[in-house]
Amino acid sequence: MSHALDLSASIQASSWRRRFLQPLMRQRSAVVGLVIILAYVLAALFAPWLATHDPTAQDLGAALQGPSAAHWLGTDSFGQDLYSRLLYGAQLALIIGFASVALGLVVGVAIGLAAGLIGGRTEWVLMRIVDGLLAFPELILAMAFMAVLGLGTENLVYALALSFVGPFARMTRGDVLQVKSQPFIEAARLMGVPTLAIIWRHVLPNVVSPILVQAGMRVSIAILLESGLSFLGIGVVPPTPDWGLMIAEGRGFITIAPWISGVPGVALAILLVALNLLGDGLRDAFDPNTQKDA
Amino acid sequence: MQETIFSLLDVERVYTLGATGWFHRETRQLKALDGVRLELKRGDTLALVGESGSGKSTLIRLMLGLEPASDGRVLYGQHDLAHLDAEARKRFAREVAFIYQNARGSMNPRMRIADILAEPIRLHRLCEEQAIPARVEALIARVGLPAGLLQRFPGELSGGQVRRIAIARALAAEPTVIMADESVAGLDVSVQAQVLNLLRDLCRESGITLVFITHDLGVASYLCEKIAVLYLGRIVEQGPTHDILSAPRHPYTKALLQAFPRFDAPLCASLKGEIPSPVNLPKGCRFAGRCAQVQPACLEVDPPLTLLTPERQVACLFPVVNPC
Repeated sequence: MSHALDLSASIQASSWRRRFLQPLMRQRSAVVGLVIILAYVLAALFAPWLATHDPTAQDLGAALQGPSAAHWLGTDSFGQDLYSRLLYGAQLALIIGFASVALGLVVGVAIGLAAGLIGGRTEWVLMRIVDGLLAFPELILAMAFMAVLGLGTENLVYALALSFVGPFARMTRGDVLQVKSQPFIEAARLMGVPTLAIIWRHVLPNVVSPILVQAGMRVSIAILLESGLSFLGIGVVPPTPDWGLMIAEGRGFITIAPWISGVPGVALAILLVALNLLGDGLRDAFDPNTQKDA
Repeated sequence: MQETIFSLLDVERVYTLGATGWFHRETRQLKALDGVRLELKRGDTLALVGESGSGKSTLIRLMLGLEPASDGRVLYGQHDLAHLDAEARKRFAREVAFIYQNARGSMNPRMRIADILAEPIRLHRLCEEQAIPARVEALIARVGLPAGLLQRFPGELSGGQVRRIAIARALAAEPTVIMADESVAGLDVSVQAQVLNLLRDLCRESGITLVFITHDLGVASYLCEKIAVLYLGRIVEQGPTHDILSAPRHPYTKALLQAFPRFDAPLCASLKGEIPSPVNLPKGCRFAGRCAQVQPACLEVDPPLTLLTPERQVACLFPVVNPC
């Protein structure tokens, strides 16, 4: 019996590999993106050990220094170590990026599911709210909410999440409507499967993959928005090590100390490219519309 | 006397078609079923035969409770399908299984065959959790497929395999009634024969009541003891398979039989034209426009389904006398 279980488990594992890992691995660019992102994640995770200085320790005597043995990537106008700030900044960027997308996804998918499944007047009301959210560009919406909520990391996550609710809700609803009309949903109802089980077992698994692909793409948008808001001074509060803030701080010294803006700028650009590569790869691998070897 | 499982009492199903113009909301009515009376006893095997658009699928959807009857009543045992309480609905879901025409579409593409087959077993708690794998293996063996397919997904199976999985799933809940919609249409003849034999064995061994939709009279005669011929939402002839095939009394049945290809006779297209739209039903007999033996009275009087013999009913003013 245990042997049979092992066997089925190994079949399951190998087919997981076949269904998930292999199509992804076939996307060369996605693998590159994934490796870069893993490097960022590791840097963020081990920031306390990798950093050479306290990211917020000011040393005005050592301000505006270029890269050296003591400060690997130089210092900013307050004498803060850019290398350390960069590591902690990665932490913040990734946390805000993933947290805001996760929150927006949960709320958006819930709204989309409710609208798609219940239909009727509920659907109408929910979708008009979503239309309202979608009427504003993401940056404007997030700015408006930061203005209302006030500055701070936590509020930034809420503001960004809110700007993602609309797209996720609309997408989920569309997919749910499509799946709902499939015969296997009716077949399940006919067999007497309870409604909640139908949603959980039959509807959700069939809408989840495009949503996850979309989520992967949104993370990069979230990080970009977060840096943008911080750059504009309505995101996180200084002296928190944040890339957007660091770029903004370096702006005044761009001619005499270009590394202050340059270092976080390059780090941000590489991360965004990597996230987009992974997102595109995920889409190509799992979106049935673009699947080549279906 | 066998117990009556299904009785349909003058069932009608009317679809309201939407507005045709921009401003004048003119609604038209489409009668997909028009006064169907049918009785199904335990152990019966009934074939619903008719052209596309004759209302076969609508009839079966009504019998499954997927759509409400616009008029008349569908009784399952003693209960009206439209007013089942939760307990009775659960029992109905277990006792009546449906095999979809689109077998692949009726399975969740993200579930393994093993899970698809286990779902009804688990749902109705037919056996203990540990016994489910063995049960699933027995099911797939019963439809003649290797157990290796259990770890596959529906998309990885061939058309014939998916049909048989659909039958296996229908059997999983140990139903007493199986309804099948064109379950063998479009299959290879060899696979078709396998599926038909499987269904026939099931009916003979387990005494399952079968309602089988088909437009193939050969399939109907192989599988079913009774035939109901539908035309434009009404049963025009009904009775034992053998009697109907050897001596059709309704001109439509006769025409259908003649349109069936045979080895020893040239094929004549006995049915001219298309089935008329059920939106504008002609006055009088609905088959009059295509009938070979149409008479003036046919254009005036709509013939009711009348008993010829205790088992045989036909809806025709001038039933065919000479066997074809």
